[in-house]
Amino acid sequence: MLLCVDVDIEPCHPEPVEGWEEMLDALDAVSPLIDDVRPGLAFLEMHGIAGDARAWMMQARSVLAGFGSVLRLGAGSNKIAARAAAYVADGSICEPGSECELLALLPLTLLDIEAKVVERLALLGIERLGDLAALPHGPFVRRFGTAAARWHELARGIDRRPFVPRSRAIAIEASIFGEGRAVDEAQVFFALRMLLARVCADLERCGKRAGALHLALELEDAQTCTFDVPLAMPTAQERTMFDMMRAKLEGATFESAIIGLRVQARQLEEGGEAQALFGADDFDPQRVAVTIARLEAMLGESIARATTREAHLLEERFAYEPFELPRKAMFDRTEAPHELVPQLRLLEVREIAVELRAREPATVDGQAVMQCVGPWRIAERAFTISPVTRDEYDVVLEDGTFARIYRQNTHWYMRGVYE
Amino acid sequence: MAAPALSHLNHPDVILSRRKAFEALKAELSAKASLPSLPIEGTVATAIPELDRLLAGGFPSGSVAILEGSTGRWSIAVGLVSAMTRRSLVAILDDGALYPPGLADAGVCLERVLIVPVRKALEVARAADILLRSRICRLILMPAIALRDSIWARLATLAHRNGVLLIVMATRAGTALSAVAELRLHCALERIIMRGTHGLWGGFAGFELRIDLRKHKHVLPGHQARVRALSS
Repeated sequence: MLLCVDVDIEPCHPEPVEGWEEMLDALDAVSPLIDDVRPGLAFLEMHGIAGDARAWMMQARSVLAGFGSVLRLGAGSNKIAARAAAYVADGSICEPGSECELLALLPLTLLDIEAKVVERLALLGIERLGDLAALPHGPFVRRFGTAAARWHELARGIDRRPFVPRSRAIAIEASIFGEGRAVDEAQVFFALRMLLARVCADLERCGKRAGALHLALELEDAQTCTFDVPLAMPTAQERTMFDMMRAKLEGATFESAIIGLRVQARQLEEGGEAQALFGADDFDPQRVAVTIARLEAMLGESIARATTREAHLLEERFAYEPFELPRKAMFDRTEAPHELVPQLRLLEVREIAVELRAREPATVDGQAVMQCVGPWRIAERAFTISPVTRDEYDVVLEDGTFARIYRQNTHWYMRGVYE
Repeated sequence: MAAPALSHLNHPDVILSRRKAFEALKAELSAKASLPSLPIEGTVATAIPELDRLLAGGFPSGSVAILEGSTGRWSIAVGLVSAMTRRSLVAILDDGALYPPGLADAGVCLERVLIVPVRKALEVARAADILLRSRICRLILMPAIALRDSIWARLATLAHRNGVLLIVMATRAGTALSAVAELRLHCALERIIMRGTHGLWGGFAGFELRIDLRKHKHVLPGHQARVRALSS
């Protein structure tokens, strides 16, 4: 039997998530096996624990009473049944064999599927789990893909998702205080290396890896500087940790001398590190992370990767986001295209002088236009206070420059050149 | 039997025809020597057959290469990026002019491209230095900037030692940069390819480029290739 604990918290807000960890620690008193699905939702394995569902719920309620959050508890033979019970009413129990009946009237959102899929299903008249369970399995899976097989099973009360117990919270940290003051870089790095050696030894002893490090520096003027250092992959290697720490500290300056350091290993995970069998064409994620940290410390800006999106305005067709290592394997079997594609280079937008002939650009900044195509009208944000209406042209100038220009209101601008 | 008279060998017509034959043979041999039939080892293929043929297999890895000219050099560089992102990470030192949808159209896997924003010459040099030393990318694209000879020499040494191809995009390369580069290609616009008719009903389909080989370690300069860049 599983006990579902559904707490009404805002997942995006950092403070309640911290509170969530404390709630989970408190729930250890009810069951030693807790599956932390997400902040606000957990399942407790109650097999072999004395008492019945009502007693377990009472105990859970008493240990969480101090947190002041709104709770919904439910019990069932598997995760979906327990969650459905909690959804129907706080304190409900879904008896084995009655899962289908209980789930039939509940909404599809209980399956944690994407909103657009729920919308698609609603368009087909499927709004309740009962409607979904009634669909023929084969055609439904063929239409919605392999993930749909799981939804269909869940709607019928069959839950094959594994129970993943959360790891025990172990504090691994090392600190150094009262050993004098460090005024130069070498002293700080020496102390840091020593602390990391201790942390790594502890990690190794516990069979764990750290996914992030937290460094606190105590300064002589009673200030504390903290640094959070995420690691690309959880590790227990001292060298990797030291490289990341050093890269993070490269651009940092402090008002006064350092009198104490504390290093804490965070996001602890079980097990060893995955190693590639053929390393020649693969990259080392830790080395990538160290390089990115060094570049960011030097430039003071994030190293980015680009994403594209549908938009009419050129400058809105892409966005930059912080670089993350690709999850897919580095080796790609698809073949590169055998043809070149002209590349537009975006110049800083500047006003240009354009003369028209037959309502088309004839000269641009005094240079004759040899070829011209366009205009392509772009009208954006028509219902806002700053609507944008542009006529874009591609022009070839007499010096061979191949440019994208546009007219906005009565002015002409150079947007970019094809290279 | 009397030996044949050799006096006719000094006849001006014979000398002229002999010189012509010699010139033809020299040209033939130099042509054979400059474009090896087998690709050179340690090259990075671009997947563009005309270009790979011109470069005897592709861009030499572990070197500095310069792409010069005003039109077409980025099309060639992005073609190479597209091929490289299939097997490794690529870094582009961006001065703000990069247009990622163009890269995506060329088949570049954008999630494997590190875009490093650089504004000053010193930042460009330091970022290139860090990337070359780290060996996380097999290909780095950087804009040409005014740097001291010793810095170019150091970047070339790092590229060579770490097996990274460093491509410098320049309108015209300076002396110091040209000296350390193993490869220099000059791109020139040959003609514009239009789609449809003039004006509103027309469109730009692409352009044809002439690529001149100006410097190569294994191939004699002076060879050319013509490639097309067509918008998708």
